[in-house]
Amino acid sequence: MLKRTLEDKFVDTFNYIFLTLILIVTVYPFWYVLILSFNEGKDAALGGIFLIPRKFTFENYKVFFTEPKWVGGLKNTVLRTVIGTALSTGFTAMVAYGLSHRYIMFRKTYFNLLIFSMYFGGGLIPFYVLLRGLGLLNSFWVYVIPNMFKPFMALVMISFIREIPYSLEESARIDGANDFTIFARIIVPVSKPILATMALFGSVAHWNDWYSSVYFVTRKNLKVLAFFMREVINQSLTSDPTQEQLVATYQGVYDNIAVTTRSMQMATIFIAVAPILLVYPFLQKYFIKGMTLGAVKE
Amino acid sequence: MSGTTGLQADKAAAVRKKHNFFVRLRKEKYLQIMALAGVAYILVFNYAPMFGLIIGFKNYQIHMGIKGMFTSQWVGLKHFREFFTYYDIGLVLRNTFMLSALKMIFSFPVPILFAIMICEVSSLKFRKLVQTASYLPHFIGWVTVSGIITAFFSGIDGVFNNLLLNLKLIDSPLDILTNPNKFYALAVLSDIWKSFGWWSIIFIAAITGVDPTQYESAIIDGAGRIQRIWYITLPGIKGAIAVVLIMAMGHLLGGGLSGSNFEQSMLLGNNLNYDRSMILQKYALQSGLEEMRYSYATAIGLMESTLSVILVYTTNRLAKKLSGSGLF
Repeated sequence: MLKRTLEDKFVDTFNYIFLTLILIVTVYPFWYVLILSFNEGKDAALGGIFLIPRKFTFENYKVFFTEPKWVGGLKNTVLRTVIGTALSTGFTAMVAYGLSHRYIMFRKTYFNLLIFSMYFGGGLIPFYVLLRGLGLLNSFWVYVIPNMFKPFMALVMISFIREIPYSLEESARIDGANDFTIFARIIVPVSKPILATMALFGSVAHWNDWYSSVYFVTRKNLKVLAFFMREVINQSLTSDPTQEQLVATYQGVYDNIAVTTRSMQMATIFIAVAPILLVYPFLQKYFIKGMTLGAVKE
Repeated sequence: MSGTTGLQADKAAAVRKKHNFFVRLRKEKYLQIMALAGVAYILVFNYAPMFGLIIGFKNYQIHMGIKGMFTSQWVGLKHFREFFTYYDIGLVLRNTFMLSALKMIFSFPVPILFAIMICEVSSLKFRKLVQTASYLPHFIGWVTVSGIITAFFSGIDGVFNNLLLNLKLIDSPLDILTNPNKFYALAVLSDIWKSFGWWSIIFIAAITGVDPTQYESAIIDGAGRIQRIWYITLPGIKGAIAVVLIMAMGHLLGGGLSGSNFEQSMLLGNNLNYDRSMILQKYALQSGLEEMRYSYATAIGLMESTLSVILVYTTNRLAKKLSGSGLF
């Protein structure tokens, strides 16, 4: 039985205090966003709100769901996340299955092409020229197609597939199944952890991407939520906004309510964060495994 | 075998090889389709743009389309010279380098320290709680984080200033978002906040892989807690530290472990803190997509990519020499 020395007590206390501080610093910003989103904007501008809302209201969220740009942005974000992730996970997995076989012809060439592409690229401008040439600019598909294949994820999946006992594949082949059938009926069900990781990473990337909306799309009805969030940030950063500007009643269309740009921003941020917040704790063991597989070589 | 000349044997072998080639191809046709789908994809989306880098050596205009890559006029190193004579090149490069260096020094150790602290906690519940919370900032994207940052540190209604004013620690609000001298600190600290939990995953996994009997014998030999951490835990995870270090060096131009320089510069940079927030990648993007100087921006991008590859390759070689293993 280990004796707890004085040093032990010291270290443990320090540890607990420090980690609790880290916990607070990590979590409090989200709590703050939450309470501010449920607080009247005008009241919040007076300051002094730290732990709980002072004047509770659903107004900020009501405005969000009735304002076309916010709802439209959310819709585009959801659409691209669902479609984009489904396509990228499926496509990357399928390619990984093809590449995972150690005996296929040209595999050395394929792998060299793959790995080199992970470290060198043409950069933004040639990519932009390509998108333009392919007609992807200003179309919904510019969000989906350039993100369909993830070389790093493919490599992770290849390692994973190689761990699957060949007997599974073998018995299916003997029964006459072709490679596509084997992929769909055997590999996919067994690879659920990796697929879950790929889907998680893919959705997070789609959900948070603001960049494509700024530079690859000009039609307002194609912009995603992240784009409008950035707009708000820019507004408040180009010059130090005055008190009046911050407290300004939202667009004047809605009178008699206390919504401000800031309180709207809080509601938007929380809506952007909520889905991730609800999902990621449950997928922890998957992405932890994926992360360690990808980085630590056995 | 008598009666068969060397030449005939070679010919026969060649015919057999050709026959084998097509037999194999037919046998693995579906696998080839699957693999080629991916290869075709990267040929289009990765290698075609690589070819498009020649734009950097030409006078390219966007209205020329893809054809223009071939038909526009060669100007050799004109755009590269232009970049090196840009009046603000010193500022841009300094900011890019400083942000990367500062993140390397300050952001890099934090996940390691955090991992060690987490593993020293005995309460499983507390461990899980703090760990789970630590991953959250990684998942929420820089736009959201920037939104939170502007709300927190705003000079008008930011809760941070609010709190400090209430506690009488300051008399007037801090201009964290608009003062260039505060940008580096803002960038590094927010990068730490966003990435420490995520990157600690690797180190936590490495720490749990350290042989527990080493600790037991150390205790018997009279080693204290700190000594055990210093002499067993740290050396035990040096492989993981090396791997992450290589990855970080490869991303050096991008800044920090997750390449945050660009997004921070784009989202938190503004006219007021320009002197510290303008970095190479942002300058290239603005020159290209906003000022329409496509060839110029491509030239800058080419230099960047080349530098990046050299960095990755060099650090990998170095790591192999020092510790016997690298990323590839």
